[in-house]
Amino acid sequence: MSIPERRNTVERLDRPSAYYVGKNKKRRYNEEPEEPKDPMEGLRDATTLYVGNLSFYTTEEQIHELFSKCGEVKRLVMGLDRYNKTPCGFCFVEYYTHQDALDCLKYVGGTKLDERIIRTDLDTGFEEGRQYGRGKSGGQVRDEYREEYDPGRGGYGRAYADDQRRREEEEYGAGR
Amino acid sequence: MADHDRRNHGHRGGRKRRYREDDDYDRRQRRRYEEPLVVKVRRQLLTIAESAARRAEDDALSIAKSVSENYEDEELRDNFIDISLDLILEQPMKIPFIATTVLTANTIKSELVADVLKRTAERLHHNVNAGAWREVKLLLRFLGCLQCIFEGDGVFTILEELFSRAVDLQTASSEDLIGLELVKIILYTIPYVMASPATGFESHALGLLEKTDIIASTPHTLVDLVNPFGPESDKSASIPSVISLLQSQLQAESTRGWELTCLPRPWNNVRDGDEPKRLEDGPKHPFPEVTVPNPVRNGSRAIFPEVYLSVYGDQDIETVPPTSNITSSLLRDALVDTINIMDFNRIATAKFLIDLDCYFTPNIFVKRATPFDKLRDLPGDRPTWKPEDVAVDAVFSQLFQLPSPEHKLVYYHSVLTECCKIAPAAIAPSLGRAIRFLYRSLDSIDLDLSHRFLDWFTHHLSNFGFTWKWSEWVDDLELPLVHPRMAFITGALDKEIRLSFAQRIRGTLPDPYQELISEGKEKDTPDFKYSLDTTPYANEGREIMQLIRRKAADEEILPLITAIEEQATSLGVESPILPSTDAFVTAICFVGSKSLSHVLSCIERNKDRLLAIGPKSPAARRQIITSVMEYWVDQPGIGINIIDKLLNYTIITPLSVIEWALVDKLEAGAILAKTHVFEMISATVGKVTNRLRQIVAARTQSGLYEPQLSVLDETLTREKKDMHSLFQVIEDSVVSVAGGSNDQLMERGDGSGDLPEDEIIRQWGKRWLRVFRRKAAVEEAYITDTMANATPVGTNAPTPPALVEESAPADAFGDGDLDVADADADGAADIL
Repeated sequence: MSIPERRNTVERLDRPSAYYVGKNKKRRYNEEPEEPKDPMEGLRDATTLYVGNLSFYTTEEQIHELFSKCGEVKRLVMGLDRYNKTPCGFCFVEYYTHQDALDCLKYVGGTKLDERIIRTDLDTGFEEGRQYGRGKSGGQVRDEYREEYDPGRGGYGRAYADDQRRREEEEYGAGR
Repeated sequence: MADHDRRNHGHRGGRKRRYREDDDYDRRQRRRYEEPLVVKVRRQLLTIAESAARRAEDDALSIAKSVSENYEDEELRDNFIDISLDLILEQPMKIPFIATTVLTANTIKSELVADVLKRTAERLHHNVNAGAWREVKLLLRFLGCLQCIFEGDGVFTILEELFSRAVDLQTASSEDLIGLELVKIILYTIPYVMASPATGFESHALGLLEKTDIIASTPHTLVDLVNPFGPESDKSASIPSVISLLQSQLQAESTRGWELTCLPRPWNNVRDGDEPKRLEDGPKHPFPEVTVPNPVRNGSRAIFPEVYLSVYGDQDIETVPPTSNITSSLLRDALVDTINIMDFNRIATAKFLIDLDCYFTPNIFVKRATPFDKLRDLPGDRPTWKPEDVAVDAVFSQLFQLPSPEHKLVYYHSVLTECCKIAPAAIAPSLGRAIRFLYRSLDSIDLDLSHRFLDWFTHHLSNFGFTWKWSEWVDDLELPLVHPRMAFITGALDKEIRLSFAQRIRGTLPDPYQELISEGKEKDTPDFKYSLDTTPYANEGREIMQLIRRKAADEEILPLITAIEEQATSLGVESPILPSTDAFVTAICFVGSKSLSHVLSCIERNKDRLLAIGPKSPAARRQIITSVMEYWVDQPGIGINIIDKLLNYTIITPLSVIEWALVDKLEAGAILAKTHVFEMISATVGKVTNRLRQIVAARTQSGLYEPQLSVLDETLTREKKDMHSLFQVIEDSVVSVAGGSNDQLMERGDGSGDLPEDEIIRQWGKRWLRVFRRKAAVEEAYITDTMANATPVGTNAPTPPALVEESAPADAFGDGDLDVADADADGAADIL
């Protein structure tokens, strides 16, 4: 007799995020139609997590302290501003086992570190170069356009702040 | 946040994506359609009983009607059966409501119920064979609720069969635990049968209870091992075993006509229009045939005796059902299963816990979030049980489960965090009372559990702005540093700082606590002792530091090491390698003080020299640990982290860590009060036992033959011996503290060993002993149990069929081989 199939009655928290799935989808859309891919492909044995929404001031030690609650941390790579080489609010955490990474998604993702709700996402693995922000000014893209003031992440978004400044200057000029 | 970003930048992708998804195919038109029946039934079924605003019985009737009246609709029927069974196995609190749906369907279309029973039997069969006892329990609970539709004895047939297996197992071995598990299943099924619409089974139930009594009431040899309080504590006796408690509660209930007040009876309240529906009148079915293997085996979850712990047991007003009432066991069982099954969605778990009163007889609880002080004002005949206390109590029972809970401890932390987020006003005060109980128990609770408490407490606070009423413990600051409460306070502040930073934590503390946060804790970079000229070998120390900083080659460092050693020799230092090691390691710590990555790359660059120190002398190996821990004396969390990495590099050995703490630095036992030392020793022991478990896993994998069998077996034998000697060192040094025979302890104070602090330290010794003796016993049992099924050494591969010759066994071995190949290089052999 076959093993009776069992499906989860509520959503699982240890699945790749919409971001990861969406990223794959986009690629597929632009290229020639191919076999639909399983979103878990490439992540089946993933031991690395992308961790986002960190404060720029959160240290490796703090990250280690929290993330080692899910298993021994093999490697921790801080995300850095491409130009200043200072932390820019994300990191990669690598565990020894896939299960530890899944447990981390389930138990730590969406909880607080350094008093901020952090985001975790399963990742295919760290590669040299990925530790740098991909935003125009060196940080993360999301910190370019952010309209809210976030003291933990350098205030307003950089592009947004520049834009504001320019507009204010123009208005000031117009008033004269 | 993430959504917001995407909207802003992805205007192209964002809009187009909508049309790509099948679900959203032509939205506007879809809205005019009625929801397809199968979607409606799915939704009704999945959310049954979740809302207090809807009558679950009405949904049960509606689902039963929809599926029965459309019996030919295969998709609908399959969905109904599969989801029902998935819910039974995943959301056990809904079982009576699923059963009501099925009982109702039986009165309309009994063929549907025959299908349900067939599929239930398949799953039951599968789980019985797999030894998945929790699943077996839940499926039997479902069948138990359906008792009235079965011919003959129904569910009692299989309960009797399980009992006879239990008797066989118990007779074969007094240490048997699977038999106890079977009895537990029987006992947890009986109340659901007795609360079901079936009548006339009182004598069946009583008969079974008389038989289970002897097994359930005899304390298991291991039950003391899992008691959250040590054998000397007066609290220890108040912790009953789950199974003996349930046995006596059921016996008491049988004399009260099986009231079982807490269990819901949705089957009694199904109304069609104004007509009450009699569900027991539907057609009868034969009880599904399920054979129980003989002997039964256990699945992947290790079984240990369980005890009933409540953190609300000693209050002047009852906020949770007392152990004299069967409600305590029935609620706890359903909640614990829900918590442990649902670990893949902690938010859903928390929701179930908060909504607990939806799934049981509602009037046994006070209204949600009723403040504790208001309970006093309630009239005497009204219940005072707080649903949130019952929920929180269940989570703590798992967090404090010995030897270890089903999931990582952080899962239970996260459930409490989510509960607190969903219903802060209800949950926070309950947690407060739990914390106070645990704090008061600090001197008697198992040491492992007091560390779990510490770890949870600080992690929890870190999620809620580090707010705690520290003022209420101010008086305890007068206690000696080695007092368990003082140890807890200092340990908690240290852990809080590790998750945050000193200045932030300082800001959360009332004045009397300020002095506990030393200036050193606020320093990102601790001072380099060789900066002071008064430090011996200051010049050399500084030069070594400069060389390490500019990543100089080892040849450049060597002359300075030699210089220190020569000076030391001329000064008559017995082991000149100690001062040179101190300078070298302290310099690495200082240069790497910026972050963990920095110190790791420093270690990496100087790995060869570090690796060469160990083999020269055990004292030098321990000097490495001393240097690290002294450099990070104000932030021991960072120190133990570095020690952990040094173990991975095999620069130091597990044994050296144990000897450093429990021999060199024992300080007549005072070190046993330090929380970070316990953490360090536990982590080190954990590393060794994990490794051994990996070797056991490699040794017991199937398809393994000679010569690999012998290779792995030798590795196992050798490393097991190493593990024993590690535990022996802990035993030998701690036992002298516990017994008060430690030489230094005898010399303290007036030498009488009768100072108040001496007694506290002896208690620490006893608590340490209990933890590591248990750990040793658990690991030993694990190895014995797992090895029982291992292929014996000397087994050769069967002559394989020509084609598959290469692939199967070699592949299966692949992983294990890699792990064990570097066993020697791992340095664990050094333990000897």
